[in-house]
Amino acid sequence: MPIRYDADLARFEDACTVEDALPLAEWLEATAAPRVDLSACTDLHTALLQLLLAARPTMTAGPEDAFLARVISLPATGP
Amino acid sequence: MSELFDQFVVEAQELLETAGGALLALERDPADRASVDELFRAFHTLKGASGLFDMAPFTRLVHAGEDTLSLLRDGRHGMTPELADRLFRTLDQCARWVAALEDTGALPADAAQAADTLVRGLSGVSAEGAAGGGEAAGEADAFPWVAALAREDRDGVGMAGGVITAIDYRPDPECFFTGDDPLALFRRVPDLRWLRIEPAEPLPALAQMDPYRCMLRFRALSGAGVEAVMPAFRSVPDQVRIGSVTLMPAAASAMAQPPAKPIAMAPPGSLAAAMLEEQARILDLPGSAAERGSRSAAVARAVAAILTALGRPADRAVVAAACADAGTLRRFLADDPLENGPPENGPPEKPAVAEARPASPRRALRVEPERMDALMALVGELSVMKGQLGPLVRRVGDGEVTRDMKAFSARLDSLVGDLRHAALRLRLLPLARVFDPLPRLVRDTARRLDKTVELVLDGAETEADKDILDVLGEPLLHLVRNAIDHGIEAPERRAASGKPPGGTLRVHAFQDKGGVVVEVSDDGAGIDPAAMRKAAVAKGLLTPDAAAALGDDDAVRLVFAPGFSTAGSVSDLSGRGVGMDAVRTAVERAGGRVEIASTPGSGTRVRLSLPLTLSITRVVVVEAAGSFYGIPVAVVGGVQRVPRAEIRGVKRAESIVLRDRVVPLVRLRRLLGQPPDDGGGHGRGGGGEADCVVLAELSDGPVAVAVDDVGERADVVLRPMTGVLRGLRGYAGTAVLGDGRLILVLDLRELL
Repeated sequence: MPIRYDADLARFEDACTVEDALPLAEWLEATAAPRVDLSACTDLHTALLQLLLAARPTMTAGPEDAFLARVISLPATGP
Repeated sequence: MSELFDQFVVEAQELLETAGGALLALERDPADRASVDELFRAFHTLKGASGLFDMAPFTRLVHAGEDTLSLLRDGRHGMTPELADRLFRTLDQCARWVAALEDTGALPADAAQAADTLVRGLSGVSAEGAAGGGEAAGEADAFPWVAALAREDRDGVGMAGGVITAIDYRPDPECFFTGDDPLALFRRVPDLRWLRIEPAEPLPALAQMDPYRCMLRFRALSGAGVEAVMPAFRSVPDQVRIGSVTLMPAAASAMAQPPAKPIAMAPPGSLAAAMLEEQARILDLPGSAAERGSRSAAVARAVAAILTALGRPADRAVVAAACADAGTLRRFLADDPLENGPPENGPPEKPAVAEARPASPRRALRVEPERMDALMALVGELSVMKGQLGPLVRRVGDGEVTRDMKAFSARLDSLVGDLRHAALRLRLLPLARVFDPLPRLVRDTARRLDKTVELVLDGAETEADKDILDVLGEPLLHLVRNAIDHGIEAPERRAASGKPPGGTLRVHAFQDKGGVVVEVSDDGAGIDPAAMRKAAVAKGLLTPDAAAALGDDDAVRLVFAPGFSTAGSVSDLSGRGVGMDAVRTAVERAGGRVEIASTPGSGTRVRLSLPLTLSITRVVVVEAAGSFYGIPVAVVGGVQRVPRAEIRGVKRAESIVLRDRVVPLVRLRRLLGQPPDDGGGHGRGGGGEADCVVLAELSDGPVAVAVDDVGERADVVLRPMTGVLRGLRGYAGTAVLGDGRLILVLDLRELL
C-alpha cells in the first residue's frame, strides 16, 4: 500500500500510482485538517498531484526524490 | 473601455470577413502568397487586439491559428482541404464568439473547451509541420509566458540571453484512462530548467472533483535542443507544443524592471494605465525584426485607440514614432502633452510635439434602427402635411400672395421629395452583405457532395433597404443550397450528358422598376414537370385529373407548395420539403414575388423580386362602396376595364378570360361584406357596361378583383394594425395618402 493513512496524516511511500487517486480523494475530503508526508515517495502520479493541488493539505515533509522536490516545494503547498 | 471594446468587435468582424475571403482564395490557389499573408495578418491582428481584453480562449485560438499559418507561410506545411476545414471552423468559432461578445460582452461559458478542441486540431498540423521541417525556431511569440517569467524564475533557469526550449503541455483530460502520467514525462526531459504545473481551468471543490480527469497544464523550459526534448512527448504530439525561444536577460525584462516612470496619461491604477503599460511590455517581447515591426504597428494602433478612448487623441505619426521601443513609449506616455507639469528629470526627449489635431479619416456611422424608423415616420408625416398644402393654396384664390404661395409650395414639394429620397437612401445597403456568405456556403456544400461548382456573383453593388436584405438572406442561402444539392448533377452524370464536369451557379442581382431582383440560376438537371405532377399526386396534393390539367410552368411551380419535395431521399442539406415553401413565404411576407423557370436538362432559374424598401409601399388606390383601399403594387399584374358581358358566372362563382387565361373573379364589395353594386353606382364604369378589374398575381395563381373604381398609384408609409385591430385579418395596415385621406391597405392573400 503506497499511501498509508494514519488518522489525519497520509504517508506516501515508493511509487504512488493512479490507483491511489480515489482513496486519496475520499480521505482528503473526509479529513478536517489533512497532513501529508511525502518524504518516502519516489514517484507521484499526476492524478495524485492534482488532488494535492486542489486540497492543499499541510505538508509535514517534502519529497526526497530530486525531481519531485522540484515539483513540490514546501511553501507552495502549505496552507 | 467600452468604446475600445466596441471598436474591437467591429474590427474583429471585419478581420474575420477578410480572413474568410483570403482562406477561400487560398484554397483555390494554394500558391497565393498574398492570401497567406493577408490571412496571417488577420490572425495576428486578432491575437493582438483580443489580448487587450479578458478573453483568453479567443486569444489562444487565434494564436494557434497564427502558428499554423506561419508554417504555411514558411512553406513548412502545404494547404490541404482538411487544413482549410480546420481554419474555417476556427473562423466560424471566432465569429460566433464575436457575436456573443457583441450581445453579452463576454465569451460563452464553453469557450475554453471549444478553443481547446480547435487548438488541438490546429496544433496537430503544427506538430506535423514542425516535425517535418525539423526547425522550430523563431516561435518566441508562441510562448508568451516565457517572456513574462518573473526575475527569480529567470535566475533559476540561468542561460540568460540564450536560446532555450519551451514546452507547453496541456494533457487530454481523459489521459489517465489511457495510462498516461503527464508528470512522469517530464522526468525524461533532458536538462529540465524550470517546470510549472497549474490548473488549466479552476479546480472544482474536492467533493465535485473527478480524480480521474486531468485538469492540469504543464509549462517547462529545458536547456536541451528541441530535437532532444521531442522524444519525451512522442506519445502525445497533439497535446504539446515545443519550440525554441530566446530568453531575455532578466535585466532587460519589462516584468523584472519597474516601469521607468509612472504612466501619466491615464489615472494610475486604472485599466487604461494597465493597458498602456501592457503595450510597452509587448514592445519588450523578443522576436525577429519583422515580428517586432508588425508588433510595434499593432501597439501603435492600440495606444492611439486607448488615448482616444481617454479623450486624448494624439497624432498617429507621433504615436507610431513613440512606439519604436518600450523606453520611448514609456517616456511618451509619462510625459502627458496635455498637462504641462514639469517632469522630474528635466525636459525629456520627445519624439515630436503632439498637437491636438482633428481626427482626419471619416468613419462609418452606426445609427440605432429605432432612430432611423423615427426619422422615416417623421418624413412620412411631413409628406402628408405637404400634401395638404396644395388644396389649401388653391382655396386662397388668385392674386400675388397665391402665386408666391404656389411657388413656395412647389419648392417645398421638391425639398420634401429630396428629403424622403435621402432618408430612404440612408437605409440602403449593397447586396454584397447577403452575397458574402455565399462563396463559403458553395465551397462547403459542394465539398460535402463531391461536386464541383463555380459560383458567379454579379451585381453585389445593387442596393436595397436593410430590412429587405434581412429578408433576402435566408431564402438566398436556401436557393443556393438547393441548386447545388438538387440542381447541379454529380460530375459523372454531367459528363454523361455532355456537360462540363463542374457546374456553374449564377447569382445575379439588379435593380428593377421599384424594386430589387435577385436571380439564382444553375446549369443543372432542371425540373421535370412530369415528375412534379407524379409527385404531387403521390403526396396527395393534387388529384390525378388536376395534375394532368396543370401546365408545365404551373407544374414546376409546385416546388413552392407547402410540404412538397422532389428529392428522392432527404439529404442533410436541403430537401426537407420545407425549403422552397419557406423561401416563398419569406419573400411574399416582405411584399415580394418568387418566380421559377426550368428547362429539363439545362437548368433552373429562380427569380426573387422584392420592393426596394419595407418602409414605403407602393399601392394602387381602389374604391369600393364609397371607401378607398390600397392594394400593394407588388401583387398587381394589371388593371383593366372588363365589359360585363365577358364575365361568366357559374352559380355564384364568376370568372373572366384575361390574357388567354381563365381567371377567377371576386368582387371587393363582397369580400369586404359591403352590399353589391346596384349597377348604377358611382363608379365611372358607366353603370352596368363594364367593371374595373385589378389582376392580382398571387402565389397560387392569378385572381381578378372587381372594384368600383381605380385611382392613382401612391407611395405610402404602411402602418401595421395595432391594438384591438391587430387581430383583423385581410389588412396589411393603414396608410395616409398625400391628400391626407386615410386608407386601409388590403392583404389579398389573407382576404381571399
